[in-house]
Amino acid sequence: MNHNRQSNDGKHDDDSALSDFLASLMDYTPTIPDELVEHYLAKSGFQCPDVRLIRLVAVATQKFVAEVANDALQHCKARQAAVVKDKREKQQKDKRLILTMDDLSKSLREYGVNVKQQEYFADSPSTGIDPATRDE
Amino acid sequence: MNNGCLENRKKEHDNSQKRPKSYKFGSKSDDFALAIAKVAVAQLCESVGFQSFHLSALETLSDVSVRYIYSIGKTANLSANLAGRVEGNVFDIIHGLEDLGSNLGFSGASDVDRCVVSSGVVKDITHFVGVSDFIPFAYDVPGFPVVKDWLPAFPDPETYATRLSVENETMGVSNGKKTESKLERVERKMDRSLLNLQLRFAHNENKGGSSHGSGYVATESNPYLAAPLHVGEKEVSPVVLPTKLSNEVALRNPVHVDVGNHVSVLETFAPAIEAMKSGLCDSDNGKKKLLYDQRPTVRFKIGIGKKSLGTISDFGSQNEEDLLKIASWFGNDNEKDDKKRRVEKILKESVESSKE
Repeated sequence: MNHNRQSNDGKHDDDSALSDFLASLMDYTPTIPDELVEHYLAKSGFQCPDVRLIRLVAVATQKFVAEVANDALQHCKARQAAVVKDKREKQQKDKRLILTMDDLSKSLREYGVNVKQQEYFADSPSTGIDPATRDE
Repeated sequence: MNNGCLENRKKEHDNSQKRPKSYKFGSKSDDFALAIAKVAVAQLCESVGFQSFHLSALETLSDVSVRYIYSIGKTANLSANLAGRVEGNVFDIIHGLEDLGSNLGFSGASDVDRCVVSSGVVKDITHFVGVSDFIPFAYDVPGFPVVKDWLPAFPDPETYATRLSVENETMGVSNGKKTESKLERVERKMDRSLLNLQLRFAHNENKGGSSHGSGYVATESNPYLAAPLHVGEKEVSPVVLPTKLSNEVALRNPVHVDVGNHVSVLETFAPAIEAMKSGLCDSDNGKKKLLYDQRPTVRFKIGIGKKSLGTISDFGSQNEEDLLKIASWFGNDNEKDDKKRRVEKILKESVESSKE
């Protein structure tokens, strides 16, 4: 009995927590715009007039992207640190944190997405030499 | 998924245009949404701490995030339909989130008969919302789908939105008079917006009559901005001006209706419609007249030019020939006639030369 009541109380708490959270989403504007989420949800066939649910999906996506990006950032930092250890003086200028395909594919692999940087074929040997043109 | 450098971007773009239309996320109609996703993802990356990005990486991440949204929707829709519902609710979405996060794991995932309400995914998200900074999206996003400029404007939302509410009201409370009055009000609203719609269509039609819309409007609102008349057209302009003015008056009314108050009642629009209808007819007539008037003047001008070139002695015949020639330029006659005339002309010339 006691245990049951406890779990019931817990459920009630969770219930109110969920509804509170959903209510708080009315005020919170995620970075991913509602229209975008609405568009893709509509494309997938999901239909719901509630803005809060769209916000929930937006926030979840934002969380996902932020986590992936954060992982990629850690990969990037680790790579840079390793490189700096090797040849310190040469890499001084290239210290900017850049989101690259290498780091992204590493971090995405942990989330179940297999991405690989496409093989790069240059039409002439001089095409890809300057690294400055390849960044950004 | 994407190649790592700008050099291959163009080629890739070409390839993307050759892709079959069934490809969901790379279709041309989706470019706008993907561009917005890119901006949002770039903002998120910046907030995480990145200073720059490779375009290919950003495109990949935005593509993945869009697919994330899509698959959440897919799973949520599936579970809603499985439960016999058309519209999804929170639990469907949480289910979708759990489904997507299942290979990564979340707290309480191992519990078999856990409640969806106390899902670890939701707790994580709640925590994330509490921790993360508030970054608004950089641009104002218009509602999807984006309407192209050349398409007619959407009707007022009342025309299609109220139908549902009307049904609801009739289905709902059967409070005799109250619902009836409500119904009436709604119907009146619908009528009004339909009227607006019709007027707008009429307005568009009127606009579409001229080959270049904006210029036409400008000439109507401001006669000083009208295209300058040619020297020969002096007689025509006083005829055209009154029709233009009447056009202007007729056009002004619907513009007011479109932009202005949605509060006024049906009756107030009745004279406007009348004016509109008459204005439309007038303008049509005016255009026809204008065309009719213009043609002789053009012919006249060319005639003058030819006359100065030709000799004075055979003025009459030359002028006649010219007129015929001009008529052939206007495409009034077919080729056979043209040939005949040419033969005639050659004969005439030969006769004249023999006379001399």
